[in-house]
Amino acid sequence: MQLKDSNSKPSSSNAVDTIQGWLVNQIAKQLGINAQTIKITEPLTRYGLDSIDSVTIVGELEDWLDAELPPTLLWDYPTIEKASQYLVNEVGVTPAETATQATEVTTKPQEAPKEKAWGGLWNKISGS
Amino acid sequence: MQPLKQYWIAEALEKDLGDPTNPDSVMSFKQVIDLDEKEEFPHEIINWLYNWKLQHYYIPAECGGEFTSFDEFIAFVRVLSRRDQTSAIAFTTMFWSYLTWMAGTDEQKRTLASFMKDANGAMCLAYSEKAHGSDLLASDVRAKKVPGGYILNGEKWPINRATISGVTFVLAKTDEAGGARSLSLFMVEKSKIDPANYTHLPKIYTHGIRGSDMSGIRFENCFIPESMRLGAEGVGLELALKGFQITRALCAAFSQGAADTALRTTLKFALGRQLYGKTVFDMPQPKRTLTDAFLDILICDCATIGVARGFNTMPEQISVWSAVVKYFVTTTLETVVQNVSVVLGSRFYMREEHDWGIFQKVLRDNAIISMFDGSTVVNLHALLLQLRQLTKSRVKNAGRNQDTLQARLQATFDLTQPLPAFDGKKLELVNRGGDDVLQGLELALTSLSDLQTDSHLNSEVLQQIIQLLQMVQEELKTLDHQITESTFQFGHEQAPEVFDIAKQYCVLHAASSCVYMWLYNRHHLGDFFASGEWLALSLRKLLLTFRPAKALPTRLSDEAVSQELVRLYNHNRMFSIVPFQLAQPQQEEITTDATQRLQLQA
Ligand SMILES: Cc1cc2nc3c(=O)[nH]c(=O)nc-3n(C[C@H](O)[C@H](O)[C@H](O)COP(=O)(O)OP(=O)(O)OC[C@H]3O[C@@H](n4cnc5c(N)ncnc54)[C@H](O)[C@@H]3O)c2cc1C
Repeated sequence: MQLKDSNSKPSSSNAVDTIQGWLVNQIAKQLGINAQTIKITEPLTRYGLDSIDSVTIVGELEDWLDAELPPTLLWDYPTIEKASQYLVNEVGVTPAETATQATEVTTKPQEAPKEKAWGGLWNKISGS
Repeated sequence: MQPLKQYWIAEALEKDLGDPTNPDSVMSFKQVIDLDEKEEFPHEIINWLYNWKLQHYYIPAECGGEFTSFDEFIAFVRVLSRRDQTSAIAFTTMFWSYLTWMAGTDEQKRTLASFMKDANGAMCLAYSEKAHGSDLLASDVRAKKVPGGYILNGEKWPINRATISGVTFVLAKTDEAGGARSLSLFMVEKSKIDPANYTHLPKIYTHGIRGSDMSGIRFENCFIPESMRLGAEGVGLELALKGFQITRALCAAFSQGAADTALRTTLKFALGRQLYGKTVFDMPQPKRTLTDAFLDILICDCATIGVARGFNTMPEQISVWSAVVKYFVTTTLETVVQNVSVVLGSRFYMREEHDWGIFQKVLRDNAIISMFDGSTVVNLHALLLQLRQLTKSRVKNAGRNQDTLQARLQATFDLTQPLPAFDGKKLELVNRGGDDVLQGLELALTSLSDLQTDSHLNSEVLQQIIQLLQMVQEELKTLDHQITESTFQFGHEQAPEVFDIAKQYCVLHAASSCVYMWLYNRHHLGDFFASGEWLALSLRKLLLTFRPAKALPTRLSDEAVSQELVRLYNHNRMFSIVPFQLAQPQQEEITTDATQRLQLQA
């Protein structure tokens, strides 16, 4: 997985917060529970999100971040805190909605690699 | 010889197994019924298959075997299954070797390949536990890490071939903390563990596949070396789910074989039995039932072959495609068997009157296919969790990259196209990139419209195909709308309505598969296939899931379809879109004639 925004260090904590916030809201919404009751340090399974759900929720996360992510992200980083930190610090994703990054939104670098990823996939399959 | 190479093995196996209605041939109906009555494991049949070297076709070429493609594989499993599902299932537990081909080390692959080829070895899959059923993560079987390996404790039940097998694929908990990474998968070689530390459980008596070695296995402080672990610690669930994507799709072949026999033996009866001065087949109602059964078999064939080839062309979409066929094909063909039983009349309930009572055995054996390896609800659940993403992808991809989509569909559905090698590492836990089969509807409609200038085609038939496919597209739009609007939730407490949507999705997927199959193979599967009546009738049949008959175009005459059914029967060909040659009778069969004479006198 390539680093997509390595020079955005100053805002990385902000990016982590944004992703955490999104995950909290999403999970609260999908599971029909109050967002206030979700602790980012608790394993998601505590809230009744099972293994298959946590694979499908990555799909929603991919759409929102516009980046291709490992489907087992929430298996390997089973708390909201760990998953968000991994996404920002290891994968280098920057959510478009991060407040201080408003200016970067238009030049968001995720679009190109994603296109490449799908195109590349077919090349791999057809053996070329 | 069949021009399509992927059917050569099936034809060769057919020829050597011989006519199943000849009591003296291997896997004859008589022999398998006798074994079933005695509830005996089919040792002799299994040995015959080993001697034929069929096990080589379960081992990928790169691991020293002969397996190259799934469409070849499903064709020969149909051959086994049309004779006896008990033996077909017993022999095909070998396919769980795919776990090793996917995730094993070179050493593990070598060991297993040699075990299968040189030692006539078989394996079993030990996932289920009495207390937990479908809930794999709740596993009570523990593998505790110790120097050099693990200590295995606990019981797996019910397991097919648990007793008569040398390798057991065991899913066990390696992390007490639980969660998706708490399971690991082990390829346990019984010959290398201490017999004092494991026991086989007693045979379980079942309603169908009675001769099966159904039992279980219990481990007590059993040391297994680290070299028996498949993949890294903690990847057990991931491997299990990916392995299921393969085996679930292939389960369709068992159902196809069963449906063939159910229809064939019933047709034999209907063509031979005289009532009111005519044959049963001459009466419109029984004829319609049998013709409809044939259509269902053709529909399922298109769906199954599409998915089988999809493993090679679109592995990242298989999580959806395989759930579709495991649900749709197995349940549809179960219904086919039920439906034709009405035509067989009282004989479907008798044990000796007609073809040694094979029909009843098919009925009983086949009922397990939709349940094992992930039940109908488990498959629909796996599918419905992905529906939201599928709808989003469909919207996002609409009209984009049409050329590559076209090329992928052609590679998948054109049976003459060579397939790229399958790479299990490309399977994804959830669908990537949407569902090509439904994404391509617009392209299919364009291709159909282009055919309007083709003077060889009956324009009424083509018009119906177009009209019906437009309806499929409308239904898909409705479905997408419902999915977008639904208050979709995660978890296991899904509304029954969402299960219904998933079922409908499968029907639309199957309908589209039929259309591509026709579009890409019109020039090489014979006149009956090319003329397309079967397709129009099939689409109409599928759309009855959504709309009442009176809201659909008038049913075309099905005379061509019923004639084809009889032609295939008379020439001993598989009921399939690729009607490959079945074994020819070695002698005139007389058993049913005698009973028919008696019936006429009565
Ligand atoms: C002939 C036969 C052969 C078998 N072979 C093997 C084998 O080789 N290896 C092996 O490991 N196992 C094998 N099994 C076990 C089989 O896989 C299990 O029976 C299966 O997993 C279902 O478990 P269960 O019967 O305990 O039902 P449960 O999982 O306990 O299900 C109970 C009920 O809950 C429903 N349900 C379950 N999950 C969901 C869901 N997600 N959404 C909605 N409803 C749900 C079910 O429909 C059912 O109504 C075999 C079983 C049989 C009968």
